[in-house]
Amino acid sequence: MTIAAGIGYALLALGPSLSLFVSVISKKPFLVLTVLSSTLLWLTSLIVLSGIWRAFLPLKSSTWWPYSILIFTSVAFQEGLRVLFWKVYKRLEDTLDAFADRVSKPRLYLTDKMQIALAGGLGHGVAHAVFFCISLLTPAFGPGTFFVDRCSKIPFFLLSALIALAFVTIHTFSMVIAFNGYAERNKVDQLFVPIVHLVAGMVTLVNFASGGCIIGIPLLYFIAILTLLHCGKMVWRRLTENRGRQGSM
Amino acid sequence: MESSILESIGVEIIGVMSPVSICMLLVVLLVYALSPSNPFSAAASAPPIRTAANLVYLESPSDSASQKLEGALLNALVFVVLIAIVTFLLVLLYYYNFTNFLKNYMRFSAFFVLGTMGGSIFLSIIQHFSIPIDSITCFLLLFNFTVVGVLSVFSGGIPIFLRQAYMVCLGIIVAAWFTKLPEWTTWVLLVALAVYDLVAVLAPGGPLKLLVELASSRDEELPALVYEARPTVPRNTQRRGSGLELLVAGVSDSGSVELQAVTRDNVNRNENESRGNSEYSAVEFGSFGSEGHESNRDEGERLLSEENARDRQSLSSDSLGYSTVIVQSDRATQFSSGASEIINEEMSPLVEMTGLGNEREQLRRDGSEMFSKGIKLGLGDFVFYSVLVGRAAMYDLMTVYACYLAIISGLGCTLILLSVCHRALPALPISITLGVVFYFLTRLLMEPFVVGTATNLVMF
Repeated sequence: MTIAAGIGYALLALGPSLSLFVSVISKKPFLVLTVLSSTLLWLTSLIVLSGIWRAFLPLKSSTWWPYSILIFTSVAFQEGLRVLFWKVYKRLEDTLDAFADRVSKPRLYLTDKMQIALAGGLGHGVAHAVFFCISLLTPAFGPGTFFVDRCSKIPFFLLSALIALAFVTIHTFSMVIAFNGYAERNKVDQLFVPIVHLVAGMVTLVNFASGGCIIGIPLLYFIAILTLLHCGKMVWRRLTENRGRQGSM
Repeated sequence: MESSILESIGVEIIGVMSPVSICMLLVVLLVYALSPSNPFSAAASAPPIRTAANLVYLESPSDSASQKLEGALLNALVFVVLIAIVTFLLVLLYYYNFTNFLKNYMRFSAFFVLGTMGGSIFLSIIQHFSIPIDSITCFLLLFNFTVVGVLSVFSGGIPIFLRQAYMVCLGIIVAAWFTKLPEWTTWVLLVALAVYDLVAVLAPGGPLKLLVELASSRDEELPALVYEARPTVPRNTQRRGSGLELLVAGVSDSGSVELQAVTRDNVNRNENESRGNSEYSAVEFGSFGSEGHESNRDEGERLLSEENARDRQSLSSDSLGYSTVIVQSDRATQFSSGASEIINEEMSPLVEMTGLGNEREQLRRDGSEMFSKGIKLGLGDFVFYSVLVGRAAMYDLMTVYACYLAIISGLGCTLILLSVCHRALPALPISITLGVVFYFLTRLLMEPFVVGTATNLVMF
């Protein structure tokens, strides 16, 4: 495998987010800043987590239960951070609205709020893909490839790119769901996000079984598509409601 | 649907961050492409270059850690002292109005950097990818590239985009050379430079502080290589005119043109500011409204060009024949003398975003001064950010991402501080500190964690 393969893996993991970035985010500087800060937040969370877990590493790769604890703590920590991110965002929204009033521009539209949420989610997703997939891709650019014992049919890089793509989708759109849930005080959406995140993390544990990736990855994609559908439905509902309200006014 | 405010906030920040990102990306690619893949090959064992940055101590892999640390500290000390001396020299020259000398010196060093250092980098690229090109063509191309670069550094009539591109180019070339320094020296040097930057810009009597104050009191551009994040695309093409026309206008009667433009500025902003602005209109003829007054922007753009054109007129007969003695250190110094003069008078959405300066905002709203000079970032910052990232690229991609994020967020913090403080700030300290901290955290903590989980295909 050579440069073509490396670029292919990278695009597999990050292609959709790249097109999202180019088509939606890059035109609005504020959204770019949101992506950057959210990426930094995710990186910080990863560093803190690895700082906590550093003492117990390396975990034995034969047993799977320490990893389940690891995933549980990590997901719990990151979901806590999401709430924090929401609080910061809420204050930001107020100041943005105040600023808009001052320069006599319209306040944030509903689509603007959703785009900010999308940018925040995209930052999380991209950070995930970058640190769990892209940063390990360096050898893929050279000759040769790498197989994991438990999943000996598919190259490791392809596997991690596929998994990263699923997680990018989950992270990106669950942020939109979560922000909306917080804004509407909708308990279902608020709980939906951490549960999806946790389940997706736990599903990757299936990969511990020999040949488990054949089952694990479709399951993961099932969850990703579920998130996507839920997000799409919710955004559609909000937009139609919003239009109806504007029409009646 | 009216455009939302999301599109107007943070334009300046992105305008500074994107060139820095491009610079870092290209340096990382360069480091990846040119670093020998086999560490035991002939290229890797070639003797390390001797520069002003490692005058005292030449690191060799077999030395003990304490030896390396000691040597690196000495190297950094010598380098910083050299930089300080040359910066003071610059300030002195500027104080006694040797501005033309300084400008020509900058041109000479740009020529030198682009021609020789850039040339050697191009040569190694050509060798590495075995690009078929004959020496005469190569020389011609290089010469053209260099000459246009030199012209674009301080002259008017050249699109701002070209100038920005050449600034980034200079940054890349110098940073690529700095990445050839040995590892320990690089890290200590970066930290030392961050500290030096902090002192030189903020401490009373610091050379950079003196320089900035002198320049602003004389109402001149800084005699240093500085990246300006001015809007690159004038909306009104007809106004852009030709270089010749600008030149003529600048020579014939620039004063009246300026005056006229200023009054127009005020008319455009109408309301009560015309009196409140009088001191501004004298000082900031090159400024433009930061909020959607396209015509004003063009006006500012054009005025600056005229100003530059006049400069060039008066300077055009000077030759480039100055010699340098310690070329390496001089060059580096002069870049870092550009370090971190971020000058900015913007009343910024940033203040709003962070919610830090509400009262200030209130005050300013009444005056409603939407003036901005654009943000300026010294080339030294470009160079040393890129050096950090380039050094991180020699370890792993993961550290590159971490360092990139850290540096960019540090830059963001500096810009936010800038909008609060309204004075020149050093851009290196926050970014370099964050970058170094994240590098070592990533390398020591995160990598085993991520590699351990990812190779077991466990992710979250």
